[in-house]
Amino acid sequence: MSNLAGKANAMTLITPIDGQVMALINKGIFFFLGTRFLKHKLNGLLTLSMIHYARWVILSARDFPRLSAAQPAEELDYSYMLFFSNFNGSWAQYVDSFSVAIPDGLDGLWWRNVGWPHSVPEEPFHRYVTDNQLWTSHYHSAYPMAASNDIKSAKVVKDQLRAFARDTERDEPNAFLERYNRLLKSLQHDLGRMAPTPIVSLATQAVDERRRADAHLKA
Amino acid sequence: MSNENGNAYALTTLCPLMAVCGQDASPAALIRDRLHIVNTGAWSPLAKVPNVYFSRLLILDDVVYQSKPHRLEHLKSQYLVFEASLHGKLGPFLEGMWQCAEPFIRSMWEFCVGFSEVRDARTFTAFIEKCQVKTTFFFNGSTDEPLAEQLKSLYLKQEFSKFAYDHQGLSAKELQAAFKAFIARVEPENLARPTWRAGATDLSNVVIP
Repeated sequence: MSNLAGKANAMTLITPIDGQVMALINKGIFFFLGTRFLKHKLNGLLTLSMIHYARWVILSARDFPRLSAAQPAEELDYSYMLFFSNFNGSWAQYVDSFSVAIPDGLDGLWWRNVGWPHSVPEEPFHRYVTDNQLWTSHYHSAYPMAASNDIKSAKVVKDQLRAFARDTERDEPNAFLERYNRLLKSLQHDLGRMAPTPIVSLATQAVDERRRADAHLKA
Repeated sequence: MSNENGNAYALTTLCPLMAVCGQDASPAALIRDRLHIVNTGAWSPLAKVPNVYFSRLLILDDVVYQSKPHRLEHLKSQYLVFEASLHGKLGPFLEGMWQCAEPFIRSMWEFCVGFSEVRDARTFTAFIEKCQVKTTFFFNGSTDEPLAEQLKSLYLKQEFSKFAYDHQGLSAKELQAAFKAFIARVEPENLARPTWRAGATDLSNVVIP
């Protein structure tokens, strides 16, 4: 069981929303976040640049899948919001970054959720996240050694490198060198080698060490 | 409300578990035990599935009580939560998942209500679609390129960073010759190879030569 896959960290929260009307209002907030009227509220999320992908899902009792008449229908007064995030860094770095960088945005995203303590001060906010977090049993990242910024930088490098290789195929050496230097200057923000993550969880380190020891015993 | 953001797709499913399954342990306990010993990283069954950026599985036992004065309520079923952030459309993804990870699927979903009707990719897709819930808001902080493009990009970033570091101070002629050899080796347009391996956690096994 781990919320970690290399540099990626999985956060899953389930939080109650009081009733249908409040759920509709929250869905409205998310709807307007996708429009030009409120899209700027997400600038903080983009600036933080820690998130690969995240989603919010608001469910009422009737939205819970029911696949057979024998399966009891859910009877819930509250609606529930599920939050899934794939981010880089430790739990504390992530939670604190949000609390500091976009406190108003967080209060909007969890607007009037039952028990929501506001994103500032941090201690009650930490408690709320901890209390409502679900633990992942299996977590997969396609690129455990890459941060979200690495993915975006890699696309820039790939696009420019492909174009450069095509465009300089017939260049004389001096012309090639000049364009090569321009390429490096243009990519200086995006180059840099990746490596396995530093240890962000002693538990994960212990599991890795145990697996290595087991593999050694089997060998 | 949308499961899509550009070419990225957010799949969220809540698959109800049977109340009992005729074994000593509950379905939730059995699935948890199985999930905890699934290989991870490049050996995860999900690493073989095309176009999955991230995915997780967990058991939702119940909703969380917020303490007094709030109401205490409970779910009537437990759910296997399966979510994935992926590239492209859901249908081809689920078909690819069935083709690449059928034994894993059969093992993990065995105790879910309705899974007994799953026989092939088509019935698996129908089952997952019944368990799917709509995403209210999907945030994409990365790119929405196909996974093979992302992995090739990471490979090129890694290799070109090393090339730039290792080839400083050469004459124009030497540098051009070295660059041509580099391009012939890394094949920037070839997505199949050389590239990065999905799920790899170590530099020693990340490159598919």
